[in-house]
Amino acid sequence: MNTAAGWAKRPESRTGVRKQRNRIARRLFSISAGFIFLVLFAIVTMLVQRSLPLWQKVSLPDFLTGRVWKPDQGLFGLLPFILGTFWTTGLGIAFALPLSLFSAIYLAEYARPLTRTVIKPVLDILAGIPSVIYGMWGVLVVVPVVQTTVAPLFSRAFPGIGLFQSSNPTGFSILSAGIVLAIMIAPILIAIMYEILLAVPVGLREASMAVGASRWQTIRYVVLPKATSGLIATLILGTSRALGETMAVLMVVGNVAALPRSLFDPAYPIPALIANNYGEMMSIPLYDSALMAAALFLLLIVLSFNILSSLALRRMLQ
Amino acid sequence: MIRKINPIPRWVLSVLLTSLLLTGCGSSSPKQETIAVSGAFALYPLMTQWADAYQKNNPGVRIDVTAGGAGKGVSDTLAGAVDIGMVSRELSPEELNQGAFPIAVARDAVFGTLNAANPYLDQILQKGFNPQILAGIYITGEITTWGEVLGMPEITDQIRVFTRSDSAGAAEMWALYIAGKKQSDLLGIGVNSDPGILEAVIRDSLAIGYNNLNYVFDAETQKPVSGVVIMPLDLNGNGFIDPDEIFTDKSAARQAVADGRYPSPPARDLYIITKGNPSGSVRDFIHWILNEGQAYVEPNGYIPLNPDRIQEMRARLDDQP
Repeated sequence: MNTAAGWAKRPESRTGVRKQRNRIARRLFSISAGFIFLVLFAIVTMLVQRSLPLWQKVSLPDFLTGRVWKPDQGLFGLLPFILGTFWTTGLGIAFALPLSLFSAIYLAEYARPLTRTVIKPVLDILAGIPSVIYGMWGVLVVVPVVQTTVAPLFSRAFPGIGLFQSSNPTGFSILSAGIVLAIMIAPILIAIMYEILLAVPVGLREASMAVGASRWQTIRYVVLPKATSGLIATLILGTSRALGETMAVLMVVGNVAALPRSLFDPAYPIPALIANNYGEMMSIPLYDSALMAAALFLLLIVLSFNILSSLALRRMLQ
Repeated sequence: MIRKINPIPRWVLSVLLTSLLLTGCGSSSPKQETIAVSGAFALYPLMTQWADAYQKNNPGVRIDVTAGGAGKGVSDTLAGAVDIGMVSRELSPEELNQGAFPIAVARDAVFGTLNAANPYLDQILQKGFNPQILAGIYITGEITTWGEVLGMPEITDQIRVFTRSDSAGAAEMWALYIAGKKQSDLLGIGVNSDPGILEAVIRDSLAIGYNNLNYVFDAETQKPVSGVVIMPLDLNGNGFIDPDEIFTDKSAARQAVADGRYPSPPARDLYIITKGNPSGSVRDFIHWILNEGQAYVEPNGYIPLNPDRIQEMRARLDDQP
């Protein structure tokens, strides 16, 4: 019935139905977005809560700069793990960035359509391979090669540089972890960078070539500058992924809690620390708090990294 | 010409969808219980055998077994994530305080491992290792070359030391045996899982490591896995290796553990734990393990507990409401 009171509840006109559906859709979508925020909030809250007992025994500076990690003696120094994370992720990005960027440029600018059609599914497959498979490949292929070929080569070629020396190479090292990480994040980086480069308007390229620039000059002076903000965002994505990559890294990195002095030394990144010692958590007092604190630290690093980069991007886009 | 597609009537789609959803419910029997088990690699092969046999006789029960190290077994059990934890070491007071209820179910041992292509294998098989040398390698780091192990300073090849990175009962037993210490005191490259450390030793001729009985010996050939040699330990302390201190055969190794000639640690009881006293189908399963299940211990390469120990365990299980 078309009474005034019932109009809002039983809209019989088409406008009313549309408005109602609009409201429902908006509510549904905002609930989904809100759910994600809720999950993040829940994780951070849990980590903070579970790590509180630690701060009564260990001060924050001691935790972050301490070099000794011996939980059964009550020593919780996270520095070796922070350095381990830094080195492995840094090396992974250092390898992955040029590889991905150049591949993406080739795919976007030079490749024939046939090549693109072939390579795209390959990239998708590589991006979908489970982490533990990369770890196994790393153990079976990368580690022996680093041990028998790369380490001796670098030790002989650069005798003065401590970074390349190795006193007892087993192949389980920062270098192996960096290589495996690079191979893991490259497919995603290539795929996204490729899309970003494609998003640069064709008209710009045409205008550039119309004034006589070569293909390479066009890429260097027109396409890349235009795509820079997107490429940096992709880089951040890749770094966040590499920071948290656990399984593949812990299989090849050696898991030794000491300050690494060379690329061929083993290291112990934070995700590996948590994954390996999750079993000891309940058995040693304060260990679970310490691991939660380490997890919280990693989370904060990833978060601040993302925030900093979006700030930088905003500045750049202005 | 535009082809008119005949839309499937909505009611057909709803019938199809509902029947698809219901098939999921139909396959499992109405009263199926699931027992989740996780923990030590050492006990994993035997537990899978027990699970298979028990499920055959009790179709209403499903048992899921995963391996992840003794530490994971304890964590998972105390957190309530699994019903039964497999632990290949003694439980600490901290763990017992949190409600861990251990039942010993079998015995095995941890053995040191060497690479079969070690260039100094002959000398090693004559001289052997002892806890002091192993402590120098694994705990203090004073011994770094094979020359120092053999007392031949002209040999400068370095020892590639491997240990377990995940919380492992085998590692705890090894540290306890060589110096009364804990896993976190062990030096060396940390490799994940028992098969992982075996693989690492196989691929490096200068490597040493340690493994559980049932991983270092091949189940089919009953000999050490190809590429690996059992580390000879000078058990009677006379300074050289006697013939009965070399294990080339699984039965010889098991006999040494059963006799007590192989020290304990690193030989040890294997435990299953529950959080608090077990009840219901979990308790029935454990009861079965302590009775009919014991018949599976020897055929699977483990060492059975002493009869009094089994009695003690049965009493411990029965001794509660």
